[in-house]
Amino acid sequence: MNNLFRQLTDTAKQIAETRSTNNKISIGAKYFKTIATDDDLHLAAQFLSEGAFSSISGKRTSVGSRTYSTCAAKFCEVDYEKVFKPCKRALGSSSETIEKLMHNLEPARKKRIEKQLTLSEVEKIYQALYRLSSRADKQEILREAWTKMSPVEIKYFIRIMTQGSLRIGFETRSVISALAEAFEKEVQDVRYAHMITGSTGRTAVLCRNNTLDEATFKLFHPISFMLASPIESRTVDSLEGYVAEEKFDGMRAQTHVSGQKVELYSRDLNDITQSFPEIVQFFVSRNLPNLVLDGEICVYKDEEILPFQLLQKRMGRKKPTQKVMEEYPVLFIAYDVLYHSDQPIFECSLTKRRNLLVQLSNKHSLPITNQFNVRDQEHIEELFERALAHGNEGLMLKKKKSSYEYGQRRKSWLKVKKPGGTLDTVIMYAHAGSGKRGGYYSDFTLGISVKEDERYEEEFIPIGKAYGGYTDEEMKRLNERIKELTVERYGPTLGLIPKIMVEIEFDDVQVNNRTKANYTLRLPRFKAIRWDLDPKDTDTLKDVERMYQEKIDRERLKQDKNPSFHLKAKQ
Amino acid sequence: MNITKAGYHGIMLPDLNIGFDYSGTGTQHTFISHAHSDHMPRNRKSSVYCTENTYKLMQRRGFSGEATILDFGNPLETDLARITLFPAGHILGSAMVFVESVDGSVLYTGDYRTPASPASEGFKIPEQVDHLITEATFSLPIYKWAPHEELSQQVRNFATKTLEDGYTPIFLAYNLGKAQEVMHMLAPLGHLVQIHGAGYKMCDVYEEAGIDLGNYETYDRKTCEGKILVTTSSALNNGFASNVSKKRIAYCSGWAAREAARAQLTVHELIPLSDHLDFFELIRLCEELNPKMVHITHTPNANVVQHYLDQRNINSRFLDMEAEEDDQ
Repeated sequence: MNNLFRQLTDTAKQIAETRSTNNKISIGAKYFKTIATDDDLHLAAQFLSEGAFSSISGKRTSVGSRTYSTCAAKFCEVDYEKVFKPCKRALGSSSETIEKLMHNLEPARKKRIEKQLTLSEVEKIYQALYRLSSRADKQEILREAWTKMSPVEIKYFIRIMTQGSLRIGFETRSVISALAEAFEKEVQDVRYAHMITGSTGRTAVLCRNNTLDEATFKLFHPISFMLASPIESRTVDSLEGYVAEEKFDGMRAQTHVSGQKVELYSRDLNDITQSFPEIVQFFVSRNLPNLVLDGEICVYKDEEILPFQLLQKRMGRKKPTQKVMEEYPVLFIAYDVLYHSDQPIFECSLTKRRNLLVQLSNKHSLPITNQFNVRDQEHIEELFERALAHGNEGLMLKKKKSSYEYGQRRKSWLKVKKPGGTLDTVIMYAHAGSGKRGGYYSDFTLGISVKEDERYEEEFIPIGKAYGGYTDEEMKRLNERIKELTVERYGPTLGLIPKIMVEIEFDDVQVNNRTKANYTLRLPRFKAIRWDLDPKDTDTLKDVERMYQEKIDRERLKQDKNPSFHLKAKQ
Repeated sequence: MNITKAGYHGIMLPDLNIGFDYSGTGTQHTFISHAHSDHMPRNRKSSVYCTENTYKLMQRRGFSGEATILDFGNPLETDLARITLFPAGHILGSAMVFVESVDGSVLYTGDYRTPASPASEGFKIPEQVDHLITEATFSLPIYKWAPHEELSQQVRNFATKTLEDGYTPIFLAYNLGKAQEVMHMLAPLGHLVQIHGAGYKMCDVYEEAGIDLGNYETYDRKTCEGKILVTTSSALNNGFASNVSKKRIAYCSGWAAREAARAQLTVHELIPLSDHLDFFELIRLCEELNPKMVHITHTPNANVVQHYLDQRNINSRFLDMEAEEDDQ
């Protein structure tokens, strides 16, 4: 028997209405067990955790929020600007708005007859959306599909279609656990298969058919990166378990090599090979065995590792010109090896992987990070200061006994960093939140002062947008104050009298010519709401420019002595 | 007819010397629609007109001024107008104020609900109204309430299921109106209810009015486990029943119709039980009354109501007043 889409959306609804994670997982597991065929199981797992198409397929339905929202407004016979948008603003969610209007409005109810669509019928609708490119064609598919669905089905249909979260508190990690529970497998085995296949749908089928061991790592299929947790103070319980490496101010990348074929993948697992032809050339020339390396792409010139700001000139370029390549030459510095001799070696300890990396470096002249055994706290301080002197971000502390925990951010890798800087800014705009923060103004555009800057006529210009970093209490207080300061309304955005001061912290300053300030901040976040400050205390654009310049101009320790990495490991 | 805003929450008919939910001293006759704090006189010593139940409830909430009791349907005659109170169905004592004068008639709704809350005196409306001054708290078509009996069943089911599972059920409900309505719904279960002190002191007024609140007592931290608890979300954040680890929480409010409420309040159950009318009831009421002018208050979305009224050829305007976030 075919499984119905309705059963999936009922399950999603039930999961949303359940608080405890374990109970959510049990509900998911129970549902997976009811599914009769492999194809349906594949779709169910994929719909619940990835979307209409598997994440790695790169396929998308490409239906924008305006396309489906205007289509829904028309379907429900309400004015998009006058009715739909205020509703969406109140709920902070288009899909929830559509669910409610489909349920509440007579004209919408009359058009719908629930047809009990199967999972594969819904998949066909997504395929059709993928094939058609014009908005009108896509809207016609949507209209036709909605005539056959209940409001709850429509809500989840949209969330799956947009490849976003279902917002039911049941993310991939829970889906993996539910599959393990349903088919009586070890969670770690399921997670491994998922990492290898990159697909929850495929993983689900392997689980059910007791063929998880078929999931094997393949070259040129990137795996999720192991991530580091920030370390609060520079103290670790027992230092002897860790080694230290300098943390580069570059771009994390995974390199796959097989003979003449070399591919580079970014942290979000996109293929970035074309942007860095000299790295490809470098690996091709090294005559390497089949290999997967984890490491960092940096701009390296005159024995100096140059700041991330310069690497940006190379990122996102399909084909860099000779001039750009000469001006910003890049290097891939490896710090881990994940695959060697046609075997994945994630399960080996860091020490073992490192030994192999050193051997490879010696034999093939690969640049690899310098690694230090740390003696004591004082030694860490010394290494940290030297890393900063090199122009690097700080230190990585890595547990010697740890395996390569792909896709996880745990305590086996710790990063020791110095915040890029802080600025006192003023809130210029407030934006309505969505999801959990629906119904509140939770995102804020922050301004810096250009009052005495002859280049600008304004008093303040935006420097960045930040959300989070405040407590619920503070958010309520902010929202009360915002009400009093609102002078303009642009849809979900409020223009405010610049009064509320926020101290923000960020990782870095970058040039961005598409912004008014010509600079953007990397990872801006609230440090404190400064009710004690006055808008005249706002930092200026000149302050931002000074920070940027200091970063660029900073003396960088050459790599000739005590280098951060070496081409050929001393052993 | 001259209708103006007066102060933060009040409305005035200056030509008739009448104020509605108005805290100042600029009118001779001030009518208080009900005992929620955003409608009560800010000046506790004001002299006002209201129903007897509203007066009793206001006294329990600290009002020490004078009030002239006016019964539903029993008009007050002034030199300029005749004023009659109609039951508003919002909470106990809640009244709509109907003013008839040579310039025409005005109905000020205060907060209201139709069909009425069973824990109120019901809902009744004059046959013909020239000017309708209406609140529009839930003035978007995303808000459509389920039938009362369904919500009532949801309240009882939540309590029963939670107790059966060995947990203590907690209802988050505003301490005047919603709390007593929830207790009225729970009464058939016969299970002991403990209500937060701020709500407890209102309960005898409901009982004197003949509304069955079942078996209840005031909240006691030491004995609350295993009882059905009724409180507000702010009290819950300040240690209410914090000694009970096995508990489940239901949020009873019109705002519970929003998915985001689940995460914002970290509750187990959302019960969209409102003491205001929904969008569709509002539009239908305007259609039935077909007044010369609808004056819309208490909403950030007056434009949406106006858009629907325009389509029905009913004149309307927005009387810009702050909407309270609390569903009171």
